[in-house]
Amino acid sequence: MSSKDPSGPVKDSPAAPPKPGRPGRGGRRHPLARFLFRRVVTALLLALGITLVTFVLTNLVPGDPVAANLGQRALGDPAIVAQWRAEHGLDKPLPQQYLLHLQGVLQGDFGMSQQSHRPVADDLAEAVPATLELAGTAILISVVLGVAFGVVAALRRDRLSDHVLRVVSLVGISVPTFWLALIAFYVFFYRLQITPGSGRIDPGMSPPPTVTGLYTVDAALAGQWDVFSSALGHLLTPALVLALYTIGLLTRFTRSAVLEVLGQDYVRAARAKGLPPRVILFRYVLRSALVPVITVAGLAFGSLLSGTVLVEAIFAWPGVGQYAYKSATSLDLPAVMGVGLVVGCVYLVINLIVDVLYGIIDPRVRMS
Amino acid sequence: MTIRSRRPGANAALLPVLLTGALALAACSSGGSSPAPQSGGAPAGAKTLVIDTSFDLKTADPGRTYEPTGLIIGKATYETLLTFEGSNVTKPVPALAESFELSKDGKTLTLKLRQGVTFADGSPVTADDVVFSLNRVRDMKGTPSFLLDGVQVEKTDDTTITLTSEKANPALPYILPNPALGILNSKVAKENGATADTGDKAEQYLNSTSAGSGPYTIESFNVSSQVVLKANAKYWGQQKPVYDKVVIRNVEAATQKLNVSRGDSQVALNLSGDQVSGIPGTLQVKKTPSANVIFLFANQDPSISKVTSNPKFAEAVRKGIDYAGLLELAGDGSVQAPGVIPSMLLGALPPDSGITRDLEGAKAALRESGVTNPTVKLEYPSELTVNGLSFQPLAERIQANLKEVGITVELAPAPVATALDNYRNGKEEMGLWYWGPDYPDPSDYLAFLPGKLVGLRAGWKAGSDRALEAAGDKAALTLGDEARRQAYVDIQNKLNASGPFVTLIQPSQNIVTAPSVTGLEFHPVWTVDVADLGVK
Repeated sequence: MSSKDPSGPVKDSPAAPPKPGRPGRGGRRHPLARFLFRRVVTALLLALGITLVTFVLTNLVPGDPVAANLGQRALGDPAIVAQWRAEHGLDKPLPQQYLLHLQGVLQGDFGMSQQSHRPVADDLAEAVPATLELAGTAILISVVLGVAFGVVAALRRDRLSDHVLRVVSLVGISVPTFWLALIAFYVFFYRLQITPGSGRIDPGMSPPPTVTGLYTVDAALAGQWDVFSSALGHLLTPALVLALYTIGLLTRFTRSAVLEVLGQDYVRAARAKGLPPRVILFRYVLRSALVPVITVAGLAFGSLLSGTVLVEAIFAWPGVGQYAYKSATSLDLPAVMGVGLVVGCVYLVINLIVDVLYGIIDPRVRMS
Repeated sequence: MTIRSRRPGANAALLPVLLTGALALAACSSGGSSPAPQSGGAPAGAKTLVIDTSFDLKTADPGRTYEPTGLIIGKATYETLLTFEGSNVTKPVPALAESFELSKDGKTLTLKLRQGVTFADGSPVTADDVVFSLNRVRDMKGTPSFLLDGVQVEKTDDTTITLTSEKANPALPYILPNPALGILNSKVAKENGATADTGDKAEQYLNSTSAGSGPYTIESFNVSSQVVLKANAKYWGQQKPVYDKVVIRNVEAATQKLNVSRGDSQVALNLSGDQVSGIPGTLQVKKTPSANVIFLFANQDPSISKVTSNPKFAEAVRKGIDYAGLLELAGDGSVQAPGVIPSMLLGALPPDSGITRDLEGAKAALRESGVTNPTVKLEYPSELTVNGLSFQPLAERIQANLKEVGITVELAPAPVATALDNYRNGKEEMGLWYWGPDYPDPSDYLAFLPGKLVGLRAGWKAGSDRALEAAGDKAALTLGDEARRQAYVDIQNKLNASGPFVTLIQPSQNIVTAPSVTGLEFHPVWTVDVADLGVK
């Protein structure tokens, strides 16, 4: 973090040593640290709120988990039903169930999944990396391409490339992701035969030894390059499909943000001073334009997560989406709560990251 | 991928560069599509079979298995005392038992165990393993425990097992082939928490590896994505497993079609009639009526509905449905269900005995009922598909059919887990559901009689039809194929005359396989026996 204010003229004299903190009211801690602290505390409180909301919503669902999980005939035996309820803690009053749930969550215990009969934490440990690998790749692709497209469109405003990019981004935003997934699968896999099929790797292969749970990373770490190429191949089509919406969104926002900054006085001043265009683009324009772009990217990540549910179904990707669907339809309450909590927390973390990036890029944010 | 800083003057060059980058990114993805995916330790030339199916799977513990996908896995990894050959479910044949005999009174089934049979770990299959496994299923009170309700399992000597029932139990030889009754390696199972009571804790272990004597063993098991089986190198039988590895993947039906057409998988199990009609000619398509019978019922409990409990109402519905139209909807290979017992089982009504639409008769029956312009609520599982056939269009078609009779049907779809609640508690005014056989014996269909499992769901209490109930009790104890067939035909005719059920169709089970796959037979209990599949 530079102590210089990038958007203003250079004013610090080279002799003055950089100050450790700004003399704010009280001036106890670095404002960034204070800002971080406040945001993290808020996030923790929100996480607690998420546990409550997922618990309440899950228990409001009509339908009896006992009926969904015990066989038809076992249901006829009250003793078995009672035993099952007791085993799964369903015989206790709801507030107590919630406290037990919360206590478990704090210890990393999300309960036992009623469908897989394994700890929900273990199930999630398998499903979450799969989704993160997919969504993470998608967000990476969309930030890189979306920002680049947006900059190009802004710099070449009203020229052919601008129009092309704007049409592409409009299409990206408008087309429903699941439809695109089906079409992409049909065209690239079935018709053109250039992409591999369902799943994370070719069916004949064994997954790489688990380190991160991300197949591409794990395969690279283990040096299994054939597995790596298979995993990457399987990853790219669904990730691109998922990314298209975000690319479109980011292209539009970057374009308008860059255009706005380009019109600012300080950019004109910099140009007048004869600074090289490259310096102007990267030091002045992009830096200021990034703030709205980060917001959009963060929000888009949310829509991306919901998009994975359908994309995962179409590409048979064994991630959180499939797990959530399966849990919900079999009324596997611990699993549903686990998924709700994890997804909620991912949102929280994304928001936190966005806020912190704000604070870093634009010091005015952390001062407020 | 990184973006290098470029001079703004060179911006014109930026777009093509980026587009090329995007294309390169997409092109990378072809790297994984090598036609012969052999890696991750598999020896060169190893044969892998990929089966795509929409998962209905909860467990790989045979004692708890009751879902179609679970039965496929159970059949491949465990062996049962008796089995069926190919798709013929009318005659049980020996498997782990080399012979069996039902006593004259139908109460005692004596089985001689085959010798020289080993589990996948090489240890012999003993009579004690059999006794433990069967007792465990019965006493653990898991979903399939009812299969052995009231059956005593005893070891007479090291090679003989007797199964004793309180009443004549002619269905028992038809029940024993169920993969839920697969024989476990009791020593291994006990070491991992198996006990023959409700405190059994072996499931988690049995979900990670199998402890049976089947031609395949479980390599990995994930309840929502895929199950990998590997050949049991020590398989005792003459017919060794052909494939080294079998991958069973959870795949949507639409994707299944593309996968098998492209050669990414070799078997697709869940295609609907429509999907199969567009399949490339090089693939093999097996169309067979499934054993699932889709039916409607009108609740007989007056406290649930004054309309549907009217004796003439069910008759009006039965005559008012356009069965030919439903068959068209269900696609090629499906058949009308003349009674509750599906076509391939002993006692099924002849295929041509199904009722045809009689609109005037339906209107007359409605008039006789004295109910005018009735409105009824039809509940059904909205997202459930049976053999690729969704319940939603089916319910809409029924609504339209009955509209012509003068019955207004309000559709009330709900997700399966929610809809099941009302159905099982007998609270649905009208319901649209299906029944697949627990075991391929007509006695399983006695559940439709008054006071029995399905009867009660239709609000049909015990004592509602004493003659029919007596006929049911008698059929359950009747011995001899011909006498049994007669008994069940009679029961179904009575059910059709006065019961609350309107049987509609058996949708087609469409299995598509790659040209290389041989030996596929559709089986009403375990869908497909993986070990029967060969390669051309």
